[in-house]
Amino acid sequence: MSSRISIGNALIGTILILFAILTFLPFYYVILTSISDPHQIREGELLLWPRGFDLAAYRIIMDNERFLTSFANTVTRTVLGVIVNLALQLSFAYALSKRYLPGRKFFMVYIIITMLFNGGIIPTYLIVRATGLIDTIWALVIPTALSTWNVILLRSFFENIPESLEESAKIDGANDFTIFVKIYLPLSLASVATIGLFIAVMHWNTYMDAIIYINKPELQVLQTFLRDMVVQLEMLSTMGDMTLLNETSILSVRTAAIFLTVLPIVVVYPFIQKYFVKGVTLGAVKG
Amino acid sequence: MTQHHMKTVQEIAMSRKKGIIRFCSTIWRHKFLYLLLMPGFIWYFIYKYLPMYGLIIAFKEFNFMKGIWGSPWVGLKHFEFLFSYPDFYRILKNTVLLNVYELVFSFPMPIILALLLNELKNMLFKRTIQTVVYFPHFLSWVVFGGIIIQLLSPNDGLVNQIRELFGLEPIHFMTQSAYFRPIVIISLILKETGWGAIIYLAALTTIDPEQYEAATMDGATRFQKLIYVTLPGIRNTIILLFILKIGSMLDYGFEQIYVLYNPTVYDVGDVLSTYIYRIGLQDARFSMTTAIGFFQSFVGLILIWSANRLAKRYSDVSIW
Repeated sequence: MSSRISIGNALIGTILILFAILTFLPFYYVILTSISDPHQIREGELLLWPRGFDLAAYRIIMDNERFLTSFANTVTRTVLGVIVNLALQLSFAYALSKRYLPGRKFFMVYIIITMLFNGGIIPTYLIVRATGLIDTIWALVIPTALSTWNVILLRSFFENIPESLEESAKIDGANDFTIFVKIYLPLSLASVATIGLFIAVMHWNTYMDAIIYINKPELQVLQTFLRDMVVQLEMLSTMGDMTLLNETSILSVRTAAIFLTVLPIVVVYPFIQKYFVKGVTLGAVKG
Repeated sequence: MTQHHMKTVQEIAMSRKKGIIRFCSTIWRHKFLYLLLMPGFIWYFIYKYLPMYGLIIAFKEFNFMKGIWGSPWVGLKHFEFLFSYPDFYRILKNTVLLNVYELVFSFPMPIILALLLNELKNMLFKRTIQTVVYFPHFLSWVVFGGIIIQLLSPNDGLVNQIRELFGLEPIHFMTQSAYFRPIVIISLILKETGWGAIIYLAALTTIDPEQYEAATMDGATRFQKLIYVTLPGIRNTIILLFILKIGSMLDYGFEQIYVLYNPTVYDVGDVLSTYIYRIGLQDARFSMTTAIGFFQSFVGLILIWSANRLAKRYSDVSIW
């Protein structure tokens, strides 16, 4: 009996380890390739461990003007995005969390309808165009400013804060705005930080909006730059002058660019991970 | 009689007036809360509801000079064109097929992963596995897709290097239609399975441990406990996510496809969203592609509504 259970455990453990290796392998391969000596990789041998050590690819990519511009644009959209998204989502979710607010149900239905039916790519493009956002950084911030999912999530965070706090503040003469900023926000700092990180990751990673709303090369974001570089095989035209390529290989430069794009995510991942399970769970149970 | 009647009219007028006053005073009492709602309310109106209104260009010949309202009506012309257009059936088939494959191969994966993780007693091991498998969710599709393309590259990709070890010819994976759908689904499974498991793990924690104890007392095996205790415990979550998935059967993620496809695999890789983008925006065929978008949204609504109805009838789960 007990031996059968331990065989079962061993099997489960093995499957899980294999799956974890499989998910991590692609990323490991990128790091490995980007720091290895390109001349040794070129021989076409199987690579499981770094061969030599060479950061030439990183030097080349970090000297590339288009990489630097698009990196800066992505940083800008992420910072603006987090500020604007949080401001709108928090204030909307806070007001919605008040059970006594007349019309609360109407506002809930108003936002949930948009989850079930939408105008689609072209009409949304026409509205974004009509509001004058095309080819500005705001096209990457405003049209995604609210997420119904996040609003519902934040609403449940606020609902979980005891109402007695609000009541006593009201007796002291505080208005709803003061209560929101001075009492509720400080109390939900951890949740706000979690949602903020999620918004930041979303802005860092997404690129469909940049493809649709941005035509100017100087406003290109990191993900579109990277797509041109890894997908379209005309990397030389993407990168501009590549006389330095003798020092390294296209493969090394590509993987170095991928790694630099992922680096900020790797840095914030431990912080996100600390909270996200809680966030998702709350959304699932309450939403 | 008439006097009495007059009185009631007066009374109604009075009470209506009172009602308006009460309404205004309610708004005034909560003025700060409504003020907080305002920016979001306006945002939803402009960026969610106006595009729905913009869908009317599916029934018009859209022209930038005349705008959404001013463009001339053409009735069902674009829809008639679409339904007699082979390209439309091709992209519709591609979209539905990818979603069906996703439902069959990718949808069960997070459930299996969550059930396996749930069996683990060693918390450190469990957390390590979770940390690793959640990670790819936070990578963009450009990065993840880019890595997949690199791994499958005919010259220096890992997969073809392994093939070479066994003396096999390298395969040009990304430019052959036969490999496109498997690549899309496998990359989706690798990237999102871990993340998808979180919601099931959360549901698993709500199962009462006493149920397991009672089952053990009755002499249930591990497998029997899985079938009679664990699965019923997460049944509602499975149904809920299933309904949501059914609602998006005509919607396949643009960002994933846009990285993985290229003109050599358009025949199997082009889905509704990529087609709308390429033909609609790049070739400026706004009205025709809006008709596709309208069809997509409308069918999506019907699908989610029917799935929800079925779920309500055969279980107690409903998304609204």
